[in-house]
Amino acid sequence: MTEPLLRVRDLAVEFDTEQGVVRAVDGVSFDIYPEETVGLVGESGCGKTVTGLSLLGLIPQPPGRIAGGSIEFGGRDLVQTSEDEMREIRGSDISMIFQEPMTALNPVFTIGTQMVDVLRLHKPLSAAQARREAIDMLGHVGIPAPARRIEEYPHQLSGGQRQRVMIAMALSCGPKLLVADEPTTALDVTTQAQVLEQINKLQEEFRMAVILVTHDLGVVAETCRRAMVMYCGKIVETAPIEELFARPRHPYTMGLLNSIPRIHEQRPERLPVIPGRVPDLLHLPPGCRFAARCERVLDRCRAEQPELSGRDSAAACFNPEPA
Amino acid sequence: MELLQYSLRKIATGIPLVIGVTLISFLLMVYFGPDKTYELVGKNPTAEQIAEVRAELGYDQPVAVRYLDYLRELVTLDLGFSDSTGERVSAILARTIPISAAVALPGFILGNLFGVLLGLFAAFYRGVWPDKFIMAAAAIGMSISFLIVIIAFQILLSSSYGLNLFPVRGWDVHSIGDYVLYVTVPTLATVFVALGYNTRFYRSVIVEETTRDYVRTARAFGMPAGPLYYKLILKNCMIPIITRIMFSIPFVVISGSLLIESYFGIPGVGKVTYDAIVTGDQPILKAVVALTAVLLVAVQLLTDIMYRWVDPRVALK
Repeated sequence: MTEPLLRVRDLAVEFDTEQGVVRAVDGVSFDIYPEETVGLVGESGCGKTVTGLSLLGLIPQPPGRIAGGSIEFGGRDLVQTSEDEMREIRGSDISMIFQEPMTALNPVFTIGTQMVDVLRLHKPLSAAQARREAIDMLGHVGIPAPARRIEEYPHQLSGGQRQRVMIAMALSCGPKLLVADEPTTALDVTTQAQVLEQINKLQEEFRMAVILVTHDLGVVAETCRRAMVMYCGKIVETAPIEELFARPRHPYTMGLLNSIPRIHEQRPERLPVIPGRVPDLLHLPPGCRFAARCERVLDRCRAEQPELSGRDSAAACFNPEPA
Repeated sequence: MELLQYSLRKIATGIPLVIGVTLISFLLMVYFGPDKTYELVGKNPTAEQIAEVRAELGYDQPVAVRYLDYLRELVTLDLGFSDSTGERVSAILARTIPISAAVALPGFILGNLFGVLLGLFAAFYRGVWPDKFIMAAAAIGMSISFLIVIIAFQILLSSSYGLNLFPVRGWDVHSIGDYVLYVTVPTLATVFVALGYNTRFYRSVIVEETTRDYVRTARAFGMPAGPLYYKLILKNCMIPIITRIMFSIPFVVISGSLLIESYFGIPGVGKVTYDAIVTGDQPILKAVVALTAVLLVAVQLLTDIMYRWVDPRVALK
């Protein structure tokens, strides 16, 4: 097997809050291989976005900090890397795109200025060369008439186009890894499909790995080769996509999949939901964090924390659904 | 074209404002202001003498007629003569406004410039000691009375108790050297007083701006702190900054300089206005009031055009 591009081990991220220290990400480990697309799935507040941000050293500090673990990328540990060196990496080796296409671009500068700024930060280009590359890139992500569009301001573009501009900026310096944080959540369904297709196409073309952070299992099913399910700051299950959807093993994953409405099946009385609610990160149970809501709970689950046993297909559960 | 149309419309809507301001000020002046008559008639006047002076001053006319006269004066730019000195009001203003501007501008510009710079600096270090230090200093600066600041600077810099480097009073300016000599102490006092307020205001605007999504985006693309703050964030802060600066202009030019001008004995428009208020010199007061109102309308127009210039989302409609 090839060497992983990114190797995250025991990553822990903490935030100081008024009520105390919150561990938003607690001992997360995973590998990302070159050119693969991996989904990082979970509900709001499970730590998926924080995991994504920590890969680029973008945890707001204070109140946040990386409390432990390592992020190995390109032969160095990004947790130990200085801010200056991280800046070189951001946008050139690892890029990130965000959920809010309405606000993620700077409203008072043209698309062109913003793209040229990014290009010239990382590449020794003249302004004119950078502009040509930016126009090129915009054409690449499917923006019609890029030479004209580049003069426009973000508010003159539609949501889908803004997200395409973000993608063009993110890819303009040829990153090896793209962290896409809910890139399509704010878009309507048709645009969503187009943008996802674009990301998939570009990924092959640019030969980069993509971490797709999302709460939408449908998006994961469509685009990813592998997925990691997060719950309460921990990865509870990781598996290749077919396996995850066909034979989920962790009760939380099963619950998630069951609560998706299906068109072809007969409509049940009510959509099944996972009972109970996510525990407060300030008052976590000693054992498995899902124990209180779990149908398959054992005594052991309430006392000990289950660990994720493998990297490619595993569930952090003492009583998983048999494979 | 859009700009011209907009300007004309804006000026048209400014006319009621000017009328409103002048009408209210005029009524207040007529009914509550000092009466110039008895200053001019001398001791033991006869009734005829009083009537004569009142007719000369125009006091014998009905209020409505006097107000319409006032408006006519404004439109024709013929502002009449001072009741005290008999000098042409337009000549007085032409002489004093440049002096006031020369006194006020350096302090005004530096106060805002340093305010923005310190605000950026404090916002960058928010929560840590450089920020805390600047904010504490700002609070102290804001708490000291303007009068104390003026007197303290005069004693420290312009008297034999202190360094005795600058003239305390007056305005005897014939060269750049003279100008620097006379303007330094007033400028220092103005900057000292304005800086606290400005820094606090600009810091809060900038801190607010740093929480925006585009800032995170820029950081995610490797933008260093320098261009991030001085280019991306600052341009996004320009609307509140322009608003604050522009709308303080009428007050800085006319009334803000009043204290400075009286304490430093500078014959500017603030001093002239102050004297006119005390002696009831209505022609001068009427001119200054109208000038302030017109300046406010002009500043509003200019401010809107500047908004358009810094923020492409603003439409001039």
